[in-house]
Amino acid sequence: MGWNIFPVWAAVVMVLATTGAVIAALGKSRNVWATALMLLAIIGMAGFIAMLWIVLERPPLRTMGETRLWYSFFLLVAGLFTYSRWKYRWIMLFSTVLAGVFIIINIVKPEIHDQTLMPALQSVWFVPHVSVYMFSYSLLGCATLLSTVALVRRNNDMDMAIEKLLYTGLAFLSIGMLTGSLWAKEAWGAYWSWDAKESWAVATWGLYLIAIHLAPSVMNTSRRWMYHTTILLGFLALQMCWYGINYLPSAETSIHTYNQ
Amino acid sequence: MAILASYKKSLTSGCILVGFATLSIVAQLCLGNFPLDLFCFPLNIFVLALWMMLITMMYRDRANNASSRFMLSREATWLSLAIMVALGVTLGLEREPSTTTWPVVLTIFFVLTHICFIVLRGWRNAKGIRWRFCLVHIGLLMALGAGFWGAPDRVQLRTAAHHYPSNEAYTMEGKQRFLPYTIELESFSIKQSENGAPTHYEAQIKVEDKVISLKVNHPYARTLSEKIYLVSFGTSPYGERYAVIEIVNEPWQWLAATGIIMLIAGAMLLFVQGPRKTVSGER
Repeated sequence: MGWNIFPVWAAVVMVLATTGAVIAALGKSRNVWATALMLLAIIGMAGFIAMLWIVLERPPLRTMGETRLWYSFFLLVAGLFTYSRWKYRWIMLFSTVLAGVFIIINIVKPEIHDQTLMPALQSVWFVPHVSVYMFSYSLLGCATLLSTVALVRRNNDMDMAIEKLLYTGLAFLSIGMLTGSLWAKEAWGAYWSWDAKESWAVATWGLYLIAIHLAPSVMNTSRRWMYHTTILLGFLALQMCWYGINYLPSAETSIHTYNQ
Repeated sequence: MAILASYKKSLTSGCILVGFATLSIVAQLCLGNFPLDLFCFPLNIFVLALWMMLITMMYRDRANNASSRFMLSREATWLSLAIMVALGVTLGLEREPSTTTWPVVLTIFFVLTHICFIVLRGWRNAKGIRWRFCLVHIGLLMALGAGFWGAPDRVQLRTAAHHYPSNEAYTMEGKQRFLPYTIELESFSIKQSENGAPTHYEAQIKVEDKVISLKVNHPYARTLSEKIYLVSFGTSPYGERYAVIEIVNEPWQWLAATGIIMLIAGAMLLFVQGPRKTVSGER
């Protein structure tokens, strides 16, 4: 049991999620079957995470593969939440495709699965810090998908949904970042040390803050593209912060090198 | 007229950005890194008081002062966040980023100054979201301010604890310092995984005749401002195990912690209250 059964498990989850998402996309109003199937897929994904937690005897939040697993899970949750709350019938299809991409990466890159948990990660801050971050990433992922559409097609309801997703995503992103700084003080003696990952976290946070500060001035004008473009840039910075820095020379001196 | 005013503000922001970049680059080229050590206690407190007094005076005179009005504008918020983003990207690309360069110091100074202006105006005027506004902005001011104004007072030393007492330690720049107490390794235990990677290690250290247990993520608070950390371990050429100890004295840490907790509370309110109505469809 463990990662070896993941391909089969993930296939079942993806079939359920895709069926639910397609039913939602084809239907005109909120569909009970679409919600139920997506809910089953989410429960399936949660079940795999729980099983992995038991097998590894530690929270599965350490390696890149494990964070991608949580991200896929939270993407399905965020997609269902957005569909149920704002009735965007195609959002679950987008979030399912995005979750599928991360699941496929996990299947084709099995070398990232490692059972050990290094001493620096053995902390009460570990689970809240990483899971809150992954949840915020998925909400901001949904906001990005909607923003991409909003750039070409204006829709006030969609703009409202983007703003709400952005506020929720930013709230959790901030909590993730701040719990990380409290943890860093206990682990390394400094709340903030401008390490490569921390610097990209500031860039990401700053871009989303620009977006929420831009909204009152540009949302009802012809300059609303600035708001949506900032959200897209924020998501790019977020990818850099999450795994992009592993490919930069600055990663060599980073203290956040346990998640490769 | 509105378009003209908007272009005027954008032009002002652009001029300030260019002036700011030029000033920081010229200062860096002419003066080298910012002389952080010069501003340790009590000079940092004096400059901080002077800075706050100046901002309060400028805020009160905002009707006649164009600089104050700019610092209270949305353009100043966008500008300060944009240079913060630029700073994050630049430092994130550097292999060994230095945080005592003039561009870094001036960026944080500008951001802090702007937040100070915003707090002065907003703590009474932020209708409907006053708690959120105060927690987020005052929290950020305290957390960022403690890191900025308290940086000259922060002392970080490293030493290797052996099975004999020693008070010798080194700064991160490799300068020798002497602690007012001795450190001695009593015992060291380690657990390793099958591939040899350490999964758990712990050191019993004698500090001021008191034996303390140190683990990663579990520092020992010697005083209110000083903590002792176990950061690593090694083996001497004679095969003797030693523990790498870090001593961090940070008098401003409680101000930073209070600011961070306020920010977390503000972020929770951001989630609970959500956005203010900015999209026309909701009005």
